[in-house]
Amino acid sequence: MPTIMSAPAVTAVLVDLSRPGRYVHWGFIQISVANLVVIGLMLLVFILAIAIPFPHGGKK
Amino acid sequence: MSRRRFNPDRDVAEWQGPSVRYDLLKEVSVAFAVVLVLAIVFAIVFSSPDERAITLQSWSKAAPVDFVQTAMTELDGTSGTATYGPPYTSTPGASQKLGPLSLESLVGVHIPLDTAQQFVISPLRTLPDVPVLDRAIAEYQSAPAPRKAAWNTAYEKAVAKATFSAGTLEVPGGAYGPVGTMMSHLLDMARTGALDGALTATPQLYGTDYTKPLLFIADGAYMGNVASNRHLLGEQWGMMNETGNYPGQAWLWLYTLWYQVPPMNSSSNGDVEVWGIMMGLTVLLALAPFIPGLRSVPRLTRVYRLIWRRHYRAVET
Repeated sequence: MPTIMSAPAVTAVLVDLSRPGRYVHWGFIQISVANLVVIGLMLLVFILAIAIPFPHGGKK
Repeated sequence: MSRRRFNPDRDVAEWQGPSVRYDLLKEVSVAFAVVLVLAIVFAIVFSSPDERAITLQSWSKAAPVDFVQTAMTELDGTSGTATYGPPYTSTPGASQKLGPLSLESLVGVHIPLDTAQQFVISPLRTLPDVPVLDRAIAEYQSAPAPRKAAWNTAYEKAVAKATFSAGTLEVPGGAYGPVGTMMSHLLDMARTGALDGALTATPQLYGTDYTKPLLFIADGAYMGNVASNRHLLGEQWGMMNETGNYPGQAWLWLYTLWYQVPPMNSSSNGDVEVWGIMMGLTVLLALAPFIPGLRSVPRLTRVYRLIWRRHYRAVET
């Protein structure tokens, strides 16, 4: 009889982000840790985009 | 012919130096491939939020007393939807105003809703072969307005003390006439899922208009509690958030920021005030090239000199 993989095994993810969210409170500001991470990554990409030298093309 | 004075925010000097070949199509292709690979990898590693939608059925099963209390406000016309104003009702003074201007009133009542009829009585009429319910609806509809109001008030008082156990709604007795029969059948209908079907019924093949069930659900306390637990309420900066630990719509930070500060956080016109601020800021952004001072910000912040630093170094030496 063929073995059928159960639904949870098929849909299991490597990193489970569906557990209750974590939030940072600072005065009237509330922000999720996930959003903070994404904003941090965006700033990092921005800094890298400025810091990494622009590739050279052939001069004409 | 007189020449205009050179303005560094408006005019560009013709480039006389060397030029560099650049393959824009190659850049677009590489960027697309990188984003595609990232999207696939992230989908495999993190998956995506998959919360079950709240339906009238799930609500009435999880919080049957809240469902019936809310349904009662739909029947007596005191619910949030029944008193919302445009575009659903013509309730006087209900619409938000930006100064003297009420945008909702200008648009008018273009999705008219009679919650008693459309959320309660019409769905109940779709139940087949329930003579006791048919008699209750007929009695309610033929009653004069003062008697209806007395029944409604009596049931509201009783249902405030209602309990639910072993699949049965237990409401203290009272002079609420046929209302008790109607409400208990509406609860049964909701718990089977038939009420969701009745409120999304359409002559078309597939019902995709969820306006009515969504408004009904939003009138109750259940959805607000679920949203609060997931940090999705407006006062929790919920516009930016996603369920669980997934990142949300971080780019909406400015829109939701205005809801957290006075006077918008306590204003009855908060939505239209925030909208007005954001429209004003959007116009400023769109017209930035024409606004003296604002259009000089990129030149004065000199970020462009960081990006093209090798060029400026070469030019200056």
